[in-house]
Amino acid sequence: MKRKGIAGLVLAGALALVSVASLGGCSSSKETLHIYSWADNFDEQVLKDFESKFNVKVTYDNYANNEDLLAKIKAGGGGYDLIQPSDYMVRTMIENNLLEPLDKNNIPNFENIQESLKNPDFDPDNKYSIVYTSGVTGIAYNKKYVKDTIDSWEDLWDPKYKGKVLLLDDNREVIGMALKKQGHSNSSQDEGEIKSAVDDLKKLLPSVLAFDTDTIKQKMIQEEGWIGTVWSGDAAFIAKDNPDVEYVVPKEGGTIFSDNYAIPKGAEHKELAEKFINYMLDPQVSAKNYESIGYSDPNAKAMEFHSEEYRNNHMINLSEEELGRTEWLGDVKDTLQLYDRYWTELKSGR
Amino acid sequence: MKRKSHPLLGIHSVLMMIFIYVPILLIIIYSFNNTRLSGDWEGFTFDWYASLMTDDHVLEALMNSLTVGIVSTIVATLLGTVGALSLRGLGRRWKGSMNGLMYLPVIIPDIIMGLSLLVLFNQMHVPLGKATVIIAHITFSMSYVYVVVTARLAGMGKQLEEAASDLGATPWQTFRHVTWPQIFPGVISGALIAFTMSLDDFMVSFFVAGPSSTTLPIYIYGQVKRGISPEINALCTLLIVVSVVLILLAQFFLNRGKGQKKHKMLPI
Repeated sequence: MKRKGIAGLVLAGALALVSVASLGGCSSSKETLHIYSWADNFDEQVLKDFESKFNVKVTYDNYANNEDLLAKIKAGGGGYDLIQPSDYMVRTMIENNLLEPLDKNNIPNFENIQESLKNPDFDPDNKYSIVYTSGVTGIAYNKKYVKDTIDSWEDLWDPKYKGKVLLLDDNREVIGMALKKQGHSNSSQDEGEIKSAVDDLKKLLPSVLAFDTDTIKQKMIQEEGWIGTVWSGDAAFIAKDNPDVEYVVPKEGGTIFSDNYAIPKGAEHKELAEKFINYMLDPQVSAKNYESIGYSDPNAKAMEFHSEEYRNNHMINLSEEELGRTEWLGDVKDTLQLYDRYWTELKSGR
Repeated sequence: MKRKSHPLLGIHSVLMMIFIYVPILLIIIYSFNNTRLSGDWEGFTFDWYASLMTDDHVLEALMNSLTVGIVSTIVATLLGTVGALSLRGLGRRWKGSMNGLMYLPVIIPDIIMGLSLLVLFNQMHVPLGKATVIIAHITFSMSYVYVVVTARLAGMGKQLEEAASDLGATPWQTFRHVTWPQIFPGVISGALIAFTMSLDDFMVSFFVAGPSSTTLPIYIYGQVKRGISPEINALCTLLIVVSVVLILLAQFFLNRGKGQKKHKMLPI
């Protein structure tokens, strides 16, 4: 029947269109590196240089948090060659057998990484991951309103800052901070220690302006908050817009965190991903990249290529002494439920 | 006859409108705000729109969204229309269950649709990318087209077609000169709704997207974590404008040729 014939023809045409459209993305025969990472995590030019130097193509897609990344990788990889999970997510992914071991022969520049950031707790020997950037949760404060010397978590409890204290909206970060204040590990699995830390936090509640992670930067810049728990990288960002804001790693120490390079299991272009990591760890490339994105550069050999301004920024370049006082958030296993319960209790104000 | 409504109903409507539209309005206003960070108004600017247009990632996401939108709309419109036409002849009993099946993708939560498609693609070892996003979008937009065209066909009746056949028209002539002109506005409005749905979809796309198939909504979601920049507000404003225009066009086509006797809203 004629009518059917035409419908069939149009349908075939449409299907052809679909296949053309889907092929459009990979029409070139060049090898392609598929990166899956946080938004704006690389300098554009550095990626372009990599493309021309190795005669390859780079695609770069974004995720918004570690859990989205995990979901995607767990569901079958999604075809990515290089991902950038945070420290605790590297641990989870290793446990779930989702990462390829890295071939260090392809990454000689691994040697350039500063010693304190090698062999982290979550991946001893850097078998599966290499640090991309790191930071420390410390205290940011506005010198206009906070005149005293700030050097301890204790200072957040000062009644002078009532209603002006900002805390991250994260149970492990905040309870971990209170644990540190009392001289314990930020990953304590002892109920007594956790309870006493939470009781301490309850006393802080009247001072708290907000539990906030996503817009804590804006709150500090606009001086709604005077003092709070802030990541070092965010502090550097805040200080750029509001020079009155200072940052310190308290004497009790703080929580260190990192984003890392890793290769998902079954990645198609594993070797190219390793070449990319090696390229990014080249001192000059590294300097260019971190200068542009404004995060901490873990590359010890890159320092001489950084600008004076970057090198003098103590929020980006934490000293070995400050890093020595930090602790990774460890795996607390089943105690996590306890953290969750106390956190809910704390936030609902009971 | 005009019925007076209860005054509380009016207040309720106003509150509802505020509830729905104030957040959107804020995004639009802030997209013109001449400051990167503050929540205060510091003057009017088009800067954020300008910087959007030079951002490679935004343009790439836009191209992806358009490719996916256009291709999936064409295919979905075809399949949906053909589906509506062929299922019209079914008996009452079958029609009910077929209609139900075709409605289902409209009603099913996006997250289930996305997840099930992802599982399917994995089982079949289909690599994730633009193709999978397009197939997923066809799956749900097809239903919208089907629903709109079916409604159109139901309102049309069979008398004209029967008359054409009586007068010696071949089935093709009947379709070409009688059926098609009548359902055409429905097909167009179905296509516009399909395109809008495709353009706005986040959840389904998120699950089935792979390398270099980041659509605008996925891109925006990734950006929000870095702090909401005025560029994102500008991008959202553009998306809102495009969606509203498309929906208005769809309404226009749906109402056209209805003899202006009644204005029927879209069945969505």
